[in-house]
Amino acid sequence: MSRETENAALLLVGLSTGMVAVTGAFTRYVKPSLLPWLLCAAVLLVAFGLTTIIGDARGRAQGDHGHTHRSAIAWLLAVPIVVLIFVVPPALGAGAANPTVVAVSTDVLHRPFPALPAGRAPVVSLPNVLERVANDTAGTLDHRLITVTGFVVHDRDTTYLARVVITCCAADAQLARIRLTGAPVAQASSLSNNSWLSVEGVVLPGPAPTLDVSGMTPTEPPANTYAYFSS
Amino acid sequence: MWIAVDARGCWHDVPVAVGFAPTRRRVGSMPILVAGLAAFAVSGRVLHTFVTGHPELATAGTVFCGVFIQAVPFLVVGVVVSGLIAAFAPAERLARWLPRRRGAAILAAAVGGAALPGCECGSVPVARRMFSDGALGAAALTFMLAAPAVNPVVLVATAVAFPGQPKMMAARCSASLLTALIVGAGWSKWGRLEWITRRLPAPHGGNSSRWALFREAARHDFVQAGSYLVVGAGAAALLHVLVPPWIFEHLAGHLLVGVLAMAALAVVLALCSVADAFVASSLSMLPLLPRLVFLVVGPAVDVKLIAMHAGMFGRAFAARFAPAAFAVATLTATVVGVLMLGGVR
Repeated sequence: MSRETENAALLLVGLSTGMVAVTGAFTRYVKPSLLPWLLCAAVLLVAFGLTTIIGDARGRAQGDHGHTHRSAIAWLLAVPIVVLIFVVPPALGAGAANPTVVAVSTDVLHRPFPALPAGRAPVVSLPNVLERVANDTAGTLDHRLITVTGFVVHDRDTTYLARVVITCCAADAQLARIRLTGAPVAQASSLSNNSWLSVEGVVLPGPAPTLDVSGMTPTEPPANTYAYFSS
Repeated sequence: MWIAVDARGCWHDVPVAVGFAPTRRRVGSMPILVAGLAAFAVSGRVLHTFVTGHPELATAGTVFCGVFIQAVPFLVVGVVVSGLIAAFAPAERLARWLPRRRGAAILAAAVGGAALPGCECGSVPVARRMFSDGALGAAALTFMLAAPAVNPVVLVATAVAFPGQPKMMAARCSASLLTALIVGAGWSKWGRLEWITRRLPAPHGGNSSRWALFREAARHDFVQAGSYLVVGAGAAALLHVLVPPWIFEHLAGHLLVGVLAMAALAVVLALCSVADAFVASSLSMLPLLPRLVFLVVGPAVDVKLIAMHAGMFGRAFAARFAPAAFAVATLTATVVGVLMLGGVR
Protein backbone atom coordinates (compact mmCIF):
# COMPACT_ATOMS: atom_id res chain seq x y z
CA MET A 1 0.00 0.00 0.00
CA SER A 2 1.45 3.36 -0.97
CA ARG A 3 1.72 6.24 1.46
CA GLU A 4 -1.15 8.11 -0.21
CA THR A 5 -3.40 5.07 0.10
CA GLU A 6 -2.41 4.61 3.74
CA ASN A 7 -3.48 8.19 4.41
CA ALA A 8 -6.79 7.58 2.65
CA ALA A 9 -7.31 4.42 4.71
CA LEU A 10 -6.53 6.33 7.91
CA LEU A 11 -9.07 9.00 6.95
CA LEU A 12 -11.68 6.35 6.13
CA VAL A 13 -11.14 4.46 9.41
CA GLY A 14 -11.76 7.78 11.19
CA LEU A 15 -14.84 8.48 9.09
CA SER A 16 -16.31 5.00 9.59
CA THR A 17 -15.71 5.22 13.35
CA GLY A 18 -17.45 8.60 13.37
CA MET A 19 -20.27 7.22 11.24
CA VAL A 20 -21.15 4.30 13.53
CA ALA A 21 -20.92 6.71 16.49
CA VAL A 22 -23.24 9.31 14.94
CA THR A 23 -25.79 6.87 13.53
CA GLY A 24 -25.94 4.95 16.82
CA ALA A 25 -24.96 1.68 15.13
CA PHE A 26 -22.07 1.47 17.61
CA THR A 27 -24.48 0.30 20.34
CA ARG A 28 -24.63 -3.04 18.52
CA TYR A 29 -20.92 -3.50 19.20
CA VAL A 30 -19.96 -1.63 22.39
CA LYS A 31 -21.41 0.02 25.48
CA PRO A 32 -23.24 3.34 24.92
CA SER A 33 -20.91 5.08 27.40
CA LEU A 34 -18.05 4.79 24.88
CA LEU A 35 -19.71 7.42 22.62
CA PRO A 36 -17.62 10.50 23.60
CA TRP A 37 -14.39 8.49 23.28
CA LEU A 38 -15.43 7.21 19.86
CA LEU A 39 -16.20 10.75 18.67
CA CYS A 40 -12.82 12.05 19.94
CA ALA A 41 -10.99 9.14 18.30
CA ALA A 42 -12.83 9.72 15.02
CA VAL A 43 -12.01 13.45 15.02
CA LEU A 44 -8.32 12.79 15.76
CA LEU A 45 -8.02 10.10 13.08
CA VAL A 46 -9.65 12.34 10.46
CA ALA A 47 -7.33 15.17 11.54
CA PHE A 48 -4.24 12.92 11.21
CA GLY A 49 -5.39 11.72 7.81
CA LEU A 50 -6.20 15.18 6.45
CA THR A 51 -3.12 16.98 7.77
CA THR A 52 -0.84 14.23 6.45
CA ILE A 53 -2.47 14.38 3.02
CA ILE A 54 -2.13 18.18 2.96
CA GLY A 55 1.45 18.03 4.31
CA ASP A 56 2.44 15.46 1.68
CA ALA A 57 0.86 17.50 -1.10
CA ARG A 58 2.89 20.55 0.01
CA GLY A 59 6.04 18.45 0.30
CA ARG A 60 5.56 17.10 -3.20
CA ALA A 61 5.10 20.61 -4.54
CA GLN A 62 8.52 21.39 -3.05
CA GLY A 63 10.09 18.34 -4.69
CA ASP A 64 10.26 16.20 -1.56
CA HIS A 65 9.42 12.58 -2.35
CA GLY A 66 8.86 11.68 1.25
CA HIS A 67 9.63 8.49 3.11
CA THR A 68 10.04 5.18 1.36
CA HIS A 69 8.57 3.00 4.09
CA ARG A 70 5.88 0.65 2.76
CA SER A 71 3.92 -2.13 4.30
CA ALA A 72 1.41 -4.57 2.87
CA ILE A 73 -0.13 -5.12 6.29
CA ALA A 74 -1.93 -1.75 6.06
CA TRP A 75 -4.37 -3.29 3.54
CA LEU A 76 -6.03 -4.89 6.56
CA LEU A 77 -7.36 -1.44 7.52
CA ALA A 78 -9.78 -1.82 4.60
CA VAL A 79 -11.54 -4.64 6.47
CA PRO A 80 -13.07 -2.55 9.30
CA ILE A 81 -13.96 0.20 6.79
CA VAL A 82 -15.92 -2.27 4.65
CA VAL A 83 -17.50 -4.03 7.62
CA LEU A 84 -18.48 -0.84 9.48
CA ILE A 85 -19.75 1.19 6.51
CA PHE A 86 -21.15 -1.40 4.12
CA VAL A 87 -21.81 -4.71 5.87
CA VAL A 88 -22.98 -3.33 9.26
CA PRO A 89 -23.43 -6.62 11.16
CA PRO A 90 -26.62 -6.79 13.28
CA ALA A 91 -26.80 -6.83 17.06
CA LEU A 92 -26.24 -10.23 18.65
CA GLY A 93 -29.29 -12.44 19.10
CA ALA A 94 -30.04 -15.19 21.55
CA GLY A 95 -28.25 -17.88 19.58
CA ALA A 96 -25.03 -15.91 19.46
CA ALA A 97 -24.58 -15.12 23.13
CA ASN A 98 -22.78 -17.68 25.19
CA PRO A 99 -25.71 -19.85 26.29
CA THR A 100 -25.05 -19.89 29.99
CA VAL A 101 -27.22 -18.50 32.71
CA VAL A 102 -25.60 -15.41 34.06
CA ALA A 103 -23.92 -16.30 37.31
CA VAL A 104 -23.53 -12.89 38.89
CA SER A 105 -19.94 -12.42 39.99
CA THR A 106 -19.31 -13.47 43.57
CA ASP A 107 -16.67 -10.75 43.81
CA VAL A 108 -19.46 -8.19 44.06
CA LEU A 109 -20.25 -7.95 47.74
CA HIS A 110 -23.73 -8.60 49.00
CA ARG A 111 -25.21 -5.23 49.77
CA PRO A 112 -28.56 -3.52 50.22
CA PHE A 113 -29.85 -2.37 46.83
CA PRO A 114 -31.78 0.90 46.45
CA ALA A 115 -35.54 0.47 46.70
CA LEU A 116 -37.52 -0.04 43.51
CA PRO A 117 -39.45 2.93 42.15
CA ALA A 118 -42.95 3.37 43.52
CA GLY A 119 -45.95 2.30 41.46
CA ARG A 120 -47.93 -0.86 40.82
CA ALA A 121 -45.39 -2.69 38.69
CA PRO A 122 -42.13 -0.74 38.22
CA VAL A 123 -39.93 -1.61 35.24
CA VAL A 124 -36.69 -3.39 36.21
CA SER A 125 -34.08 -4.50 33.68
CA LEU A 126 -33.51 -8.24 33.50
CA PRO A 127 -29.82 -8.17 34.52
CA ASN A 128 -30.76 -5.90 37.42
CA VAL A 129 -33.35 -8.44 38.55
CA LEU A 130 -30.65 -11.15 38.49
CA GLU A 131 -28.22 -8.93 40.42
CA ARG A 132 -30.85 -8.25 43.05
CA VAL A 133 -31.74 -11.96 43.28
CA ALA A 134 -28.06 -12.86 43.82
CA ASN A 135 -26.77 -9.99 45.97
CA ASP A 136 -29.55 -7.90 47.46
CA THR A 137 -29.60 -7.96 51.27
CA ALA A 138 -32.50 -5.48 51.51
CA GLY A 139 -35.07 -7.79 49.93
CA THR A 140 -36.29 -5.10 47.53
CA LEU A 141 -37.85 -7.69 45.19
CA ASP A 142 -39.82 -9.56 47.85
CA HIS A 143 -43.56 -9.64 47.10
CA ARG A 144 -43.21 -6.82 44.59
CA LEU A 145 -44.92 -6.90 41.23
CA ILE A 146 -42.35 -5.86 38.59
CA THR A 147 -42.31 -5.41 34.82
CA VAL A 148 -39.49 -7.04 32.87
CA THR A 149 -38.87 -6.90 29.11
CA GLY A 150 -36.98 -9.51 27.11
CA PHE A 151 -37.27 -12.17 24.45
CA VAL A 152 -38.52 -15.74 24.78
CA VAL A 153 -36.07 -18.62 24.90
CA HIS A 154 -37.14 -22.24 25.20
CA ASP A 155 -34.62 -24.63 26.72
CA ARG A 156 -35.89 -28.19 26.90
CA ASP A 157 -39.26 -27.90 28.68
CA THR A 158 -38.59 -24.57 30.38
CA THR A 159 -39.55 -21.13 29.13
CA TYR A 160 -37.18 -18.25 29.85
CA LEU A 161 -37.28 -14.52 29.40
CA ALA A 162 -33.81 -13.45 28.25
CA ARG A 163 -31.64 -10.46 27.36
CA VAL A 164 -28.19 -10.33 25.79
CA VAL A 165 -25.93 -8.57 28.31
CA ILE A 166 -22.64 -6.98 27.32
CA THR A 167 -19.96 -5.79 29.74
CA CYS A 168 -17.61 -3.99 27.35
CA CYS A 169 -18.19 -5.07 23.79
CA ALA A 170 -19.99 -7.71 21.76
CA ALA A 171 -17.14 -10.17 22.33
CA ASP A 172 -18.13 -10.61 25.98
CA ALA A 173 -21.87 -11.06 25.37
CA GLN A 174 -23.72 -13.31 27.78
CA LEU A 175 -27.30 -14.48 27.91
CA ALA A 176 -29.09 -13.36 31.06
CA ARG A 177 -32.28 -15.32 31.56
CA ILE A 178 -35.00 -15.83 34.14
CA ARG A 179 -37.37 -18.81 34.32
CA LEU A 180 -41.03 -18.00 33.75
CA THR A 181 -43.78 -19.84 35.64
CA GLY A 182 -47.49 -19.20 36.24
CA ALA A 183 -50.72 -19.61 34.33
CA PRO A 184 -50.03 -17.23 31.40
CA VAL A 185 -46.82 -19.07 30.57
CA ALA A 186 -48.64 -21.98 28.93
CA GLN A 187 -49.63 -19.33 26.43
CA ALA A 188 -46.00 -18.15 26.13
CA SER A 189 -44.86 -21.65 25.19
CA SER A 190 -46.79 -21.25 21.99
CA LEU A 191 -44.84 -18.07 21.29
CA SER A 192 -41.81 -18.54 19.11
CA ASN A 193 -38.22 -18.16 20.28
CA ASN A 194 -36.89 -14.59 20.09
CA SER A 195 -40.32 -12.94 20.24
CA TRP A 196 -40.27 -9.94 22.56
CA LEU A 197 -42.50 -9.76 25.64
CA SER A 198 -43.21 -7.35 28.45
CA VAL A 199 -43.97 -9.46 31.51
CA GLU A 200 -45.53 -8.61 34.86
CA GLY A 201 -44.78 -10.90 37.78
CA VAL A 202 -43.30 -11.52 41.19
CA VAL A 203 -39.85 -13.05 41.78
CA LEU A 204 -40.15 -16.34 43.67
CA PRO A 205 -37.70 -17.09 46.49
CA GLY A 206 -35.30 -19.94 45.74
CA PRO A 207 -31.84 -20.58 44.25
CA ALA A 208 -32.81 -20.40 40.53
CA PRO A 209 -34.16 -17.00 39.49
CA THR A 210 -37.84 -17.49 38.65
CA LEU A 211 -40.62 -15.04 37.83
CA ASP A 212 -44.22 -15.95 38.68
CA VAL A 213 -46.01 -14.32 35.79
CA SER A 214 -49.43 -12.71 36.15
CA GLY A 215 -49.64 -10.87 32.85
CA MET A 216 -47.75 -10.50 29.58
CA THR A 217 -47.95 -8.39 26.44
CA PRO A 218 -46.03 -8.86 23.20
CA THR A 219 -43.86 -5.80 22.40
CA GLU A 220 -41.59 -4.53 19.69
CA PRO A 221 -37.84 -5.12 20.20
CA PRO A 222 -36.22 -2.00 21.73
CA ALA A 223 -33.91 0.10 19.56
CA ASN A 224 -30.94 -1.13 21.61
CA THR A 225 -31.55 -4.82 22.23
CA TYR A 226 -28.71 -5.22 24.74
CA ALA A 227 -28.97 -4.79 28.49
CA TYR A 228 -26.22 -3.91 30.98
CA PHE A 229 -25.31 -4.71 34.55
CA SER A 230 -25.63 -1.73 36.86
CA SER A 231 -22.37 -2.26 38.75
CA MET B 1 4.03 -12.27 -3.15
CA TRP B 2 6.40 -10.15 -1.11
CA ILE B 3 8.41 -9.27 -4.21
CA ALA B 4 5.27 -8.11 -6.00
CA VAL B 5 4.33 -5.96 -3.05
CA ASP B 6 7.82 -4.52 -2.84
CA ALA B 7 7.80 -3.81 -6.54
CA ARG B 8 4.51 -1.98 -6.24
CA GLY B 9 5.88 -0.05 -3.29
CA CYS B 10 8.92 0.96 -5.28
CA TRP B 11 6.79 2.31 -8.10
CA HIS B 12 5.19 4.71 -5.73
CA ASP B 13 8.47 6.03 -4.48
CA VAL B 14 8.62 7.95 -7.74
CA PRO B 15 5.14 9.38 -8.10
CA VAL B 16 6.20 11.81 -10.82
CA ALA B 17 7.57 9.03 -13.03
CA VAL B 18 4.23 7.26 -13.01
CA GLY B 19 2.65 10.11 -14.87
CA PHE B 20 5.47 10.42 -17.41
CA ALA B 21 5.86 6.73 -18.27
CA PRO B 22 2.41 5.26 -18.89
CA THR B 23 3.81 2.21 -20.66
CA ARG B 24 5.58 1.10 -17.47
CA ARG B 25 2.63 1.96 -15.27
CA ARG B 26 1.05 -0.65 -13.01
CA VAL B 27 -2.20 -0.45 -11.12
CA GLY B 28 -1.42 1.50 -7.94
CA SER B 29 -2.88 0.85 -4.52
CA MET B 30 -5.13 3.93 -4.54
CA PRO B 31 -7.20 2.82 -7.58
CA ILE B 32 -7.47 -0.65 -6.02
CA LEU B 33 -8.75 0.84 -2.75
CA VAL B 34 -11.22 3.16 -4.50
CA ALA B 35 -12.48 0.43 -6.84
CA GLY B 36 -12.77 -2.04 -3.99
CA LEU B 37 -14.75 0.36 -1.83
CA ALA B 38 -16.99 1.27 -4.77
CA ALA B 39 -17.68 -2.43 -5.37
CA PHE B 40 -18.59 -2.89 -1.71
CA ALA B 41 -20.75 0.25 -1.78
CA VAL B 42 -22.74 -1.19 -4.68
CA SER B 43 -23.04 -4.64 -3.11
CA GLY B 44 -23.45 -3.39 0.47
CA ARG B 45 -27.17 -4.15 0.71
CA VAL B 46 -26.64 -7.69 -0.62
CA LEU B 47 -23.72 -8.27 1.74
CA HIS B 48 -25.70 -7.02 4.73
CA THR B 49 -28.62 -9.33 3.89
CA PHE B 50 -26.25 -12.25 3.34
CA VAL B 51 -24.45 -11.71 6.64
CA THR B 52 -27.70 -11.21 8.55
CA GLY B 53 -29.06 -14.43 7.04
CA HIS B 54 -26.15 -16.52 8.34
CA PRO B 55 -26.14 -16.35 12.16
CA GLU B 56 -22.53 -17.48 12.57
CA LEU B 57 -21.29 -14.97 10.02
CA ALA B 58 -23.37 -12.26 11.71
CA THR B 59 -21.92 -13.17 15.11
CA ALA B 60 -18.38 -13.12 13.75
CA GLY B 61 -18.99 -9.74 12.12
CA THR B 62 -20.49 -8.24 15.26
CA VAL B 63 -17.71 -9.57 17.50
CA PHE B 64 -15.12 -8.23 15.05
CA CYS B 65 -16.73 -4.77 15.15
CA GLY B 66 -17.02 -4.99 18.93
CA VAL B 67 -13.33 -5.70 19.51
CA PHE B 68 -12.19 -3.19 16.90
CA ILE B 69 -14.49 -0.31 17.90
CA GLN B 70 -13.74 -0.84 21.58
CA ALA B 71 -9.99 -0.69 20.97
CA VAL B 72 -9.90 2.29 18.58
CA PRO B 73 -10.14 5.06 21.23
CA PHE B 74 -7.41 3.40 23.32
CA LEU B 75 -5.24 2.97 20.26
CA VAL B 76 -5.69 6.64 19.33
CA VAL B 77 -4.69 7.78 22.83
CA GLY B 78 -1.66 5.46 22.57
CA VAL B 79 -0.45 6.79 19.21
CA VAL B 80 -0.95 10.42 20.27
CA VAL B 81 1.36 9.84 23.23
CA SER B 82 3.85 7.85 21.15
CA GLY B 83 3.85 10.73 18.67
CA LEU B 84 4.58 13.19 21.47
CA ILE B 85 7.45 11.01 22.66
CA ALA B 86 8.86 10.77 19.14
CA ALA B 87 8.71 14.55 18.82
CA PHE B 88 9.87 15.64 22.26
CA ALA B 89 11.75 12.68 23.83
CA PRO B 90 13.49 10.71 21.07
CA ALA B 91 15.16 7.39 21.88
CA GLU B 92 18.66 8.92 21.89
CA ARG B 93 17.66 11.34 24.62
CA LEU B 94 15.90 8.57 26.60
CA ALA B 95 19.08 6.50 26.43
CA ARG B 96 21.16 9.42 27.68
CA TRP B 97 18.90 9.70 30.74
CA LEU B 98 19.58 6.12 31.85
CA PRO B 99 21.95 5.42 34.79
CA ARG B 100 25.38 4.01 33.93
CA ARG B 101 25.25 0.99 36.23
CA ARG B 102 23.63 -1.97 34.50
CA GLY B 103 21.27 -3.05 37.28
CA ALA B 104 20.09 0.51 37.84
CA ALA B 105 19.68 1.01 34.09
CA ILE B 106 17.47 -2.09 33.81
CA LEU B 107 15.33 -0.89 36.70
CA ALA B 108 15.11 2.62 35.25
CA ALA B 109 14.15 1.21 31.84
CA ALA B 110 11.37 -0.84 33.40
CA VAL B 111 10.00 2.17 35.28
CA GLY B 112 10.40 4.37 32.20
CA GLY B 113 8.64 1.80 30.04
CA ALA B 114 5.84 1.57 32.57
CA ALA B 115 5.37 5.34 32.58
CA LEU B 116 5.27 5.72 28.79
CA PRO B 117 2.22 4.47 26.94
CA GLY B 118 2.99 2.62 23.75
CA CYS B 119 1.91 -0.39 21.77
CA GLU B 120 4.26 -3.35 21.50
CA CYS B 121 4.56 -2.58 17.80
CA GLY B 122 5.83 0.91 18.61
CA SER B 123 8.19 -0.15 21.38
CA VAL B 124 10.16 -2.57 19.17
CA PRO B 125 11.73 0.14 16.96
CA VAL B 126 12.30 2.37 20.01
CA ALA B 127 14.04 -0.49 21.83
CA ARG B 128 16.13 -1.25 18.75
CA ARG B 129 17.39 2.34 18.66
CA MET B 130 18.11 2.28 22.41
CA PHE B 131 19.90 -1.05 21.90
CA SER B 132 22.14 0.63 19.34
CA ASP B 133 25.59 -1.02 19.56
CA GLY B 134 24.60 -3.17 22.53
CA ALA B 135 25.90 -1.07 25.41
CA LEU B 136 22.35 -0.53 26.67
CA GLY B 137 21.08 -3.91 25.44
CA ALA B 138 19.60 -5.21 28.67
CA ALA B 139 17.89 -1.91 29.44
CA ALA B 140 16.51 -1.68 25.90
CA LEU B 141 14.98 -5.16 26.08
CA THR B 142 13.51 -4.45 29.51
CA PHE B 143 12.00 -1.28 28.11
CA MET B 144 10.65 -3.19 25.10
CA LEU B 145 8.81 -5.64 27.37
CA ALA B 146 7.68 -3.11 29.97
CA ALA B 147 6.44 -0.31 27.69
CA PRO B 148 3.54 -2.14 26.02
CA ALA B 149 2.53 -4.27 29.01
CA VAL B 150 2.69 -1.93 32.00
CA ASN B 151 1.60 1.56 31.04
CA PRO B 152 -1.28 3.80 32.11
CA VAL B 153 -3.36 3.23 28.98
CA VAL B 154 -3.09 -0.55 29.18
CA LEU B 155 -3.79 -0.60 32.91
CA VAL B 156 -6.87 1.60 32.50
CA ALA B 157 -8.06 -0.67 29.69
CA THR B 158 -7.53 -3.70 31.95
CA ALA B 159 -9.46 -2.04 34.78
CA VAL B 160 -12.31 -1.20 32.37
CA ALA B 161 -12.34 -4.72 30.96
CA PHE B 162 -12.42 -6.36 34.40
CA PRO B 163 -14.90 -4.25 36.36
CA GLY B 164 -15.04 -5.18 40.02
CA GLN B 165 -11.67 -6.97 39.85
CA PRO B 166 -8.92 -4.42 40.54
CA LYS B 167 -6.69 -7.33 41.60
CA MET B 168 -6.45 -8.29 37.94
CA MET B 169 -4.90 -4.95 37.02
CA ALA B 170 -2.44 -5.11 39.94
CA ALA B 171 -1.47 -8.70 39.12
CA ARG B 172 -0.96 -7.85 35.44
CA CYS B 173 1.19 -4.86 36.36
CA SER B 174 3.40 -6.86 38.76
CA ALA B 175 3.79 -9.94 36.55
CA SER B 176 4.64 -7.94 33.41
CA LEU B 177 7.12 -5.74 35.27
CA LEU B 178 8.82 -8.81 36.76
CA THR B 179 8.94 -10.47 33.33
CA ALA B 180 10.63 -7.40 31.85
CA LEU B 181 13.19 -7.23 34.68
CA ILE B 182 14.00 -10.97 34.55
CA VAL B 183 14.44 -10.98 30.75
CA GLY B 184 16.61 -7.84 30.94
CA ALA B 185 18.79 -9.37 33.66
CA GLY B 186 18.95 -12.62 31.68
CA TRP B 187 20.18 -10.74 28.61
CA SER B 188 22.97 -9.02 30.53
CA LYS B 189 24.10 -12.44 31.81
CA TRP B 190 23.71 -14.70 28.76
CA GLY B 191 23.01 -12.37 25.82
CA ARG B 192 25.39 -12.41 22.84
CA LEU B 193 25.91 -9.47 20.49
CA GLU B 194 26.60 -11.76 17.51
CA TRP B 195 22.89 -12.74 17.53
CA ILE B 196 22.10 -9.20 16.43
CA THR B 197 22.50 -9.53 12.70
CA ARG B 198 20.34 -6.60 11.59
CA ARG B 199 21.94 -3.16 11.58
CA LEU B 200 20.06 0.08 12.16
CA PRO B 201 18.92 1.88 9.00
CA ALA B 202 20.38 5.29 8.31
CA PRO B 203 18.53 7.97 10.29
CA HIS B 204 16.14 10.30 8.49
CA GLY B 205 17.17 13.81 7.60
CA GLY B 206 16.92 15.95 10.73
CA ASN B 207 15.21 18.98 9.23
CA SER B 208 11.65 17.97 10.11
CA SER B 209 9.63 20.13 12.48
CA ARG B 210 8.40 18.85 15.84
CA TRP B 211 4.81 18.83 14.55
CA ALA B 212 5.81 16.82 11.48
CA LEU B 213 7.69 14.31 13.67
CA PHE B 214 4.66 13.98 15.95
CA ARG B 215 2.20 13.54 13.10
CA GLU B 216 4.47 11.12 11.29
CA ALA B 217 5.02 8.89 14.35
CA ALA B 218 1.36 8.91 15.38
CA ARG B 219 0.18 8.19 11.86
CA HIS B 220 2.72 5.40 11.35
CA ASP B 221 1.93 3.78 14.70
CA PHE B 222 -1.80 3.87 14.08
CA VAL B 223 -1.49 2.32 10.63
CA GLN B 224 0.83 -0.42 11.95
CA ALA B 225 -0.97 -1.16 15.20
CA GLY B 226 -4.42 -0.73 13.67
CA SER B 227 -3.59 -3.26 10.98
CA TYR B 228 -2.46 -5.80 13.55
CA LEU B 229 -5.55 -4.99 15.59
CA VAL B 230 -7.65 -6.06 12.58
CA VAL B 231 -5.85 -9.41 12.66
CA GLY B 232 -6.55 -9.73 16.38
CA ALA B 233 -10.21 -8.73 16.11
CA GLY B 234 -10.67 -11.13 13.20
CA ALA B 235 -9.04 -13.96 15.14
CA ALA B 236 -11.19 -13.21 18.17
CA ALA B 237 -14.31 -13.23 15.99
CA LEU B 238 -13.34 -16.55 14.38
CA LEU B 239 -12.50 -18.01 17.77
CA HIS B 240 -15.87 -16.92 19.07
CA VAL B 241 -17.69 -18.79 16.33
CA LEU B 242 -15.38 -21.78 15.80
CA VAL B 243 -14.30 -22.77 19.30
CA PRO B 244 -17.17 -24.58 21.01
CA PRO B 245 -17.87 -23.37 24.57
CA TRP B 246 -17.22 -26.82 26.04
CA ILE B 247 -13.51 -26.44 25.26
CA PHE B 248 -13.30 -23.51 27.64
CA GLU B 249 -15.39 -25.34 30.21
CA HIS B 250 -12.96 -28.24 29.81
CA LEU B 251 -9.98 -25.91 30.22
CA ALA B 252 -11.62 -24.35 33.24
CA GLY B 253 -11.39 -27.67 35.06
CA HIS B 254 -7.67 -28.16 34.41
CA LEU B 255 -5.65 -25.24 35.64
CA LEU B 256 -2.30 -26.30 34.15
CA VAL B 257 -3.79 -27.13 30.75
CA GLY B 258 -5.71 -23.85 30.91
CA VAL B 259 -2.58 -21.85 31.67
CA LEU B 260 -0.59 -23.45 28.83
CA ALA B 261 -3.49 -23.15 26.39
CA MET B 262 -4.01 -19.46 27.19
CA ALA B 263 -0.26 -18.78 26.91
CA ALA B 264 -0.26 -20.44 23.49
CA LEU B 265 -3.42 -18.55 22.53
CA ALA B 266 -1.74 -15.24 23.45
CA VAL B 267 1.09 -16.04 21.03
CA VAL B 268 -1.21 -17.11 18.21
CA LEU B 269 -3.81 -14.33 18.50
CA ALA B 270 -1.19 -11.53 18.55
CA LEU B 271 -3.54 -8.99 20.09
CA CYS B 272 -2.54 -5.39 20.75
CA SER B 273 -1.87 -4.85 24.43
CA VAL B 274 -4.60 -2.20 24.66
CA ALA B 275 -7.17 -4.65 23.28
CA ASP B 276 -6.20 -7.98 24.80
CA ALA B 277 -7.84 -7.25 28.17
CA PHE B 278 -11.22 -7.05 26.44
CA VAL B 279 -10.70 -10.40 24.76
CA ALA B 280 -9.52 -11.97 28.02
CA SER B 281 -12.54 -10.48 29.75
CA SER B 282 -14.81 -12.12 27.17
CA LEU B 283 -13.45 -15.59 28.03
CA SER B 284 -15.45 -15.41 31.22
CA MET B 285 -15.84 -19.19 31.54
CA LEU B 286 -12.15 -19.44 32.47
CA PRO B 287 -10.74 -18.68 35.94
CA LEU B 288 -8.74 -15.47 36.32
CA LEU B 289 -5.30 -17.16 36.49
CA PRO B 290 -5.14 -18.48 32.89
CA ARG B 291 -6.52 -15.14 31.70
CA LEU B 292 -3.76 -13.33 33.59
CA VAL B 293 -1.20 -15.55 31.83
CA PHE B 294 -2.84 -14.54 28.54
CA LEU B 295 -2.43 -10.84 29.40
CA VAL B 296 1.21 -11.18 30.50
CA VAL B 297 2.43 -13.41 27.64
CA GLY B 298 0.62 -11.48 24.86
CA PRO B 299 2.53 -8.17 25.04
CA ALA B 300 5.85 -9.99 25.60
CA VAL B 301 5.81 -12.47 22.73
CA ASP B 302 3.39 -13.23 19.92
CA VAL B 303 3.59 -14.07 16.24
CA LYS B 304 3.64 -10.46 15.01
CA LEU B 305 6.31 -9.53 17.59
CA ILE B 306 8.47 -12.51 16.60
CA ALA B 307 8.29 -11.25 13.01
CA MET B 308 9.19 -7.70 14.10
CA HIS B 309 12.09 -8.92 16.27
CA ALA B 310 13.46 -10.92 13.36
CA GLY B 311 13.13 -7.84 11.18
CA MET B 312 14.70 -5.33 13.57
CA PHE B 313 17.25 -7.46 15.49
CA GLY B 314 17.84 -10.53 13.33
CA ARG B 315 16.63 -14.12 13.15
CA ALA B 316 19.23 -15.56 15.51
CA PHE B 317 18.04 -13.12 18.16
CA ALA B 318 14.33 -13.78 17.58
CA ALA B 319 14.84 -17.57 17.69
CA ARG B 320 16.31 -17.28 21.21
CA PHE B 321 14.36 -14.32 22.57
CA ALA B 322 10.86 -15.66 21.77
CA PRO B 323 11.06 -18.98 23.70
CA ALA B 324 12.91 -17.32 26.60
CA ALA B 325 10.36 -14.50 26.93
CA PHE B 326 7.50 -17.01 26.57
CA ALA B 327 8.81 -19.22 29.38
CA VAL B 328 9.61 -16.32 31.71
CA ALA B 329 6.24 -14.61 31.12
CA THR B 330 4.23 -17.82 31.62
CA LEU B 331 6.05 -18.77 34.82
CA THR B 332 6.01 -15.26 36.30
CA ALA B 333 2.31 -14.79 35.55
CA THR B 334 1.46 -18.15 37.10
CA VAL B 335 3.41 -17.45 40.29
CA VAL B 336 2.09 -13.89 40.62
CA GLY B 337 -1.44 -15.11 39.82
CA VAL B 338 -1.36 -17.80 42.49
CA LEU B 339 -0.06 -15.27 45.03
CA MET B 340 -2.33 -12.33 44.15
CA LEU B 341 -5.50 -13.83 42.68
CA GLY B 342 -5.70 -16.86 44.93
CA GLY B 343 -4.94 -18.99 41.86
CA VAL B 344 -6.97 -22.18 42.00
CA ARG B 345 -10.48 -20.90 42.14
